[in-house]
Parts: sequence; structure tokens; C-alpha cells
Amino acid sequence: MTQSNTNTPVISLRDLKKHYGIGDAEHTVLDGINLTIEKGEFIAIMGPSGCGKTTLLNILGLLDRADGGDYLLDGTSVESLSAARHARIRSDQVGFVFQNFNLVPRLNVIENVALPLTYKGIHKTKRLQMASKMLGNFHLSEREYYKPWQLSGGQTQRVAIARALVNDPSIVLADEPTGNLDSKASHVIMEELSDIHKRGNTIIMVTHNPALTTYASRVITMLDGQIETDTKTPRKPTNKLSTSKRRLDSNAKKAAEKPKRKTRAKKPTKKDEK
Amino acid sequence: MRLLILNHIENAIEALRSTRTRTSLTVLGVTIGIASITLILSLSGGATKVITDQVEELGGNIAVIRPGNHQSQSQLDSLTSPVTTTFATSTLTSNDITRLQAIPNIQAVAPLMVISGGVRSDSNQPKVSSIVATTPDLLTIANFPISDGQFIDDITNQDTAVIGSQLSIDLFGTDRSIGKTFKIKGKAFTVIGILKPINRPINYNNVDFDHTAIINLESGKAFNQNTVQLQQINIKASTKETLPAVLEAANRSLAESHHGDTDYTILSGGDLSQPTSQLFYAVATTMTAVAAISLVVGGIGIMNIMLVSVVERTREIGIRKALGASNAHITMQFLIESLAMSLCGGIAGYTIGYVLAFAISRSFLTFDPLFNWQIAAITFGISLFVGTAFGLYPALRAAKKDPIEALRQYH
Repeated sequence: MTQSNTNTPVISLRDLKKHYGIGDAEHTVLDGINLTIEKGEFIAIMGPSGCGKTTLLNILGLLDRADGGDYLLDGTSVESLSAARHARIRSDQVGFVFQNFNLVPRLNVIENVALPLTYKGIHKTKRLQMASKMLGNFHLSEREYYKPWQLSGGQTQRVAIARALVNDPSIVLADEPTGNLDSKASHVIMEELSDIHKRGNTIIMVTHNPALTTYASRVITMLDGQIETDTKTPRKPTNKLSTSKRRLDSNAKKAAEKPKRKTRAKKPTKKDEK
Repeated sequence: MRLLILNHIENAIEALRSTRTRTSLTVLGVTIGIASITLILSLSGGATKVITDQVEELGGNIAVIRPGNHQSQSQLDSLTSPVTTTFATSTLTSNDITRLQAIPNIQAVAPLMVISGGVRSDSNQPKVSSIVATTPDLLTIANFPISDGQFIDDITNQDTAVIGSQLSIDLFGTDRSIGKTFKIKGKAFTVIGILKPINRPINYNNVDFDHTAIINLESGKAFNQNTVQLQQINIKASTKETLPAVLEAANRSLAESHHGDTDYTILSGGDLSQPTSQLFYAVATTMTAVAAISLVVGGIGIMNIMLVSVVERTREIGIRKALGASNAHITMQFLIESLAMSLCGGIAGYTIGYVLAFAISRSFLTFDPLFNWQIAAITFGISLFVGTAFGLYPALRAAKKDPIEALRQYH
């Protein structure tokens, strides 16, 4: 769906592993993740708390390093790239929406949103214009000069998303982007994300809300550091299933099918990707 | 690599402004150090400049011969053993004067024999003043302005003296004291001339002529068992251009009469001021060391505050890294913050240093502090160095933070 070479997947994970702690306290967070993400996919990752969703997202965003396995970004192993190159990729290609907003309290809203553009070397006036435009998309124009602590939870969340999208990233990594919002506000944000998606960008979103998976083109559920189900490559779960997992699975599948049935029916692009 | 210096500066100002009190206290440490360095440099420079200016003013064709070998003596030696220069028998003799007078292109030779002792008029208590025995040539060299009467000469009675204006007032209560007599070591001298106020206590003669009685060299010898004890010999070449040749000849001639011993020093140009202010330099060196210590303390203050700042802003560092800042960006951000502090301290210190220097020179000293680009450059360089040296470690520490760890802080 985009102009770039379609044969190289934008993200390709092979047997990705991540552990925390040492000795008795060692805890495996990611236990052999195999995943290929093509350019332009909108992926929703679901799963219970502690199953490694956030860690996976951090590794995908080059904030964290895997302990084992390969991570190919645009066909290049990230392990071989320098730290400065990682920073450059984060600046140019990745947009992060954090679970806990992570706005800089010292800076006001518009400066927070303009922050990623700083590291792209964009001039200040231009930066603030772009940030202002992005804030306008999220109906936050009249809050530009507020400090983060003067905003409501929902507004803070929208600012965090505006900041992630302002540098027009090709990969958006969103950790619970609508976690604190009511359904109406969630809708605004999801519309913005799908707009970004429609422009050919890849979106990877972690969520607990099955309703939001209607926007996604692909739903992945995780359990205990492994991929449990994937709507793209349906397969039988290899592990023995707990009841909770079964429920999650069915939710995910249901959710994944929804867009084709109603919400997204009018948008043929979704189907094209699959 | 995008440098973003302007952004970092903006950011640093913003960050420092938000912690105003502690920033100003930190800056104060550097300010004090830089202020003392500026003060010392400008005053010692001023003292040196006074003398070189005097020499220039007199045509730049003046040289001075002093006993002893100053070149082989470090400043510290002259401070710890003043005996060698002040009280030892001079190595310059009356023979040297004669020899120097024979050198072609020498316009004037004026020996200075400083006699210790007081002067007294009939009505007054003895005044401690300097007494200089010399020859009429001194007028040619030093070009004293005479307010009344004449300078000493070879024709008039040897028991005559020319006195400084302030000494005249001290002795007789007036600066019009021609014809009056005063006594040096019991011997009466008649005042035949009075100098105009010069107000130059620091000069290449090491004599404050406002407070001095100038007598003939022959009279001076009488106070010293008829031998000369010369503090220095001033020589004047006919022009500035002939001075090097004259110095060469003088050196050769003196070497011959001293049997090859270089127990004398010929000084000209900028060197003239050097031995004059040796004590001043020694004091300045000590004070510079003290200022350096205060700068180190100031620098440690910067490092301390920067380390606190790095810990406080751990989250911010994590966020910035997540949004695309590289390690170099973070290093620069914090380094520029510490540089901003040290440079503010430098500018404030430079200003305060000069304010103090002018205050001191106007109230205690007779010369103005030196004002040149070298001092500005030195203080700027020092503040730059302090900011970099003490800001680098905190900045590197900030850059080294793992983004995930940093983001996890204080949840």
C-alpha cells in the first residue's frame, strides 16, 4: 500500500528473548517472539498484564535491547547499529505514546509536542507551528500554553499522542493510547491513528480494550512472553490453555473480525493489506 | 549529527531560570574566583603599565643599570631574601659612571644613591623621607617639572638640595621654601629648587620624588665614608634608535671593568618595571593561587548542582532519549547548562573585578587598573575551562542513563 519496497518487512523478529534479573530472580519476559510486520499494518497487541507487551514495544522502539534473537528493522539488524544511529531512528521513524504520558513537566504543552522535532533539527518557529497544528487536530489549541499538570487526564493523554505523531513517524508505537479516555475521546484518538495509518504508516498498539481492535488490521495476543494468537497467521495454541486465555483469545478473534463486518467495511484498504 | 546549540542554550536558560536561587548561588562561587583574578591582573598590569608608560613618555631611550643579577634571581628568592638586593653593598662603582659617560651616543648618565635617614627643619620633628644623591644629569633623564628655583648643578654650592613639593609642605608648611635650610644627619642644606607635584610613587627609579630630597652625589658620598653606594644608574641614549647600540657598548664596558662578572643588570623597555614591582608580583602570585582555589571550589559547586540536576531530571532524560535525542545531544544539553553557569559567573566576576579594581585604585593607589583584551580573554578562558571541566562528568553521566531505567524512575 505504500510506495517503498514491499518485499522487505518493516519489522522482523526472530526468536526474540528478554530476561530480567539474575540467578533465582531471573524472569523471562519475552520467550522467543517470532513476528513479521509489513509496512502499513495496524497491529493491536493484547494480553494480560506482565505478558511482555510493553517490553516488546520498548524493544521495537529501540529503547531496550533484546538478550537473544534477531530484530531486523527495514532489513537491517539493529544489533549492528550504533547508539547514535538508534537515536536517529527514534527521531526520524518512531513515534512513542507512553502508558504514563511521560510529558516533561518543565515544558508547556506546545513545547512538549514540539520536542521530537527539536532532535530532527527543525527551526523553532516551524517546530511550534507544526506542534500547534497537531494540537489543533486533537482539539487542544486553547491549551497550548498550559503546563502538563494543569491538564486533565484525557487532555494529557491527547498531548502525549500529539507528540508521538508530530514528527510524522513511519512506525507509531502506542502503549494504551486510550487508557484514560472515555469512548468519545478514544474515538478521536483512534480516528487520528487510523488517519496516520491510512497515510501508509505502521502502527503497533498495545491495548486492553477489545473494542479498539476494530480499528486494527491485525490482532496479536500475547501470553507469558510468547505470541498466543495472531489473526494474520491463525494457528492452534501450542501451550495448554487456561480459561482466561481462552476468553482473551476469543475476544481478540471477535474483535479482529469486527472491522470487516461493520466499522471498517467502507474502507477497502484494510482488506488490501491482508 | 545535528548540533542544536541554539536549542541547548535556550533550554539551559529555561532550566536555570526555573531553579533561580540555587543557580545564582552556584554562579556566585565562580564569580568570586573570576573577580579576584580580574582584580589581580588589572592592578598588577596597571602597576607595570605605569612604569612602561613613563619610559615611553620620556622618549623610550632610557635604560637602567642595577647592581646584582636580576635575571638569575627568581621572584621568590627576592621575596625570601631581601638582604641581597636592599642592604648589600652595591656592585656599581663611581668608575662605572665614568666609563658609561665615555660611551658615544649617551646623552646623560645619572647615578642614584639612596641614603637612608631623616630630614629635619629647625622647627619640626625629623621627617622620614628618602634622600637621593645624584648628578645634574637626572633632570635630563627624568625631565622633572620644577615649580620654583633650579635643579642641582655642578656650579652652585654643594650643600644645596632640590626637594619634592610634598616634602616641602611637610618640612616648612609651604611649597615655597626656596632659601630655607634643613638638616640631613646634622648637615645643613639649602633649598634651591622645588619640584612640581608628580604623584607617581611607582616609577622606574623606585623613589617617590614628591617626598624626596635630591642632593649632589658628592654630598651623598660624604655621608658614606666618601664612597658611592649606587642603587641604580640611569642612562639616556641620544635617540630611541641608538639605545640598543648604547646598551651593547655599556654592557661591554661594564663587563670589562667588572672583570667579566655580570653582577649588574641592564634593563630597558618593559623590563624596567619588572624588579620594581617584584614584591607586588609575589603578592599577586599568592593571590592568584588563592583565587585559583576559589575557582576550583566554584567549579565543584557547579559539578554538585549539575549532578543533582541530572538526578532530578532522570525522567526528562529518558523521555528525550525516547523522542530521538542521542547521547551526544544529552551530553551537550547538560554541558551547555554548566557552561552557561560558569560563563555567567565569568561575566559577573569580570565586571565586579573591575568595579573593585577601580574602587581600590581610586581610594588607595595612584594608578588606574589595566584594561585590555588579554585580561578579558584570560577570564573568559578560565570560565570556559571551569564550566567544561566540572560540567563534563555530570553531562556524561546524564547521557549514559538507560532510557528504560530513566523512564521507570518515580512511577
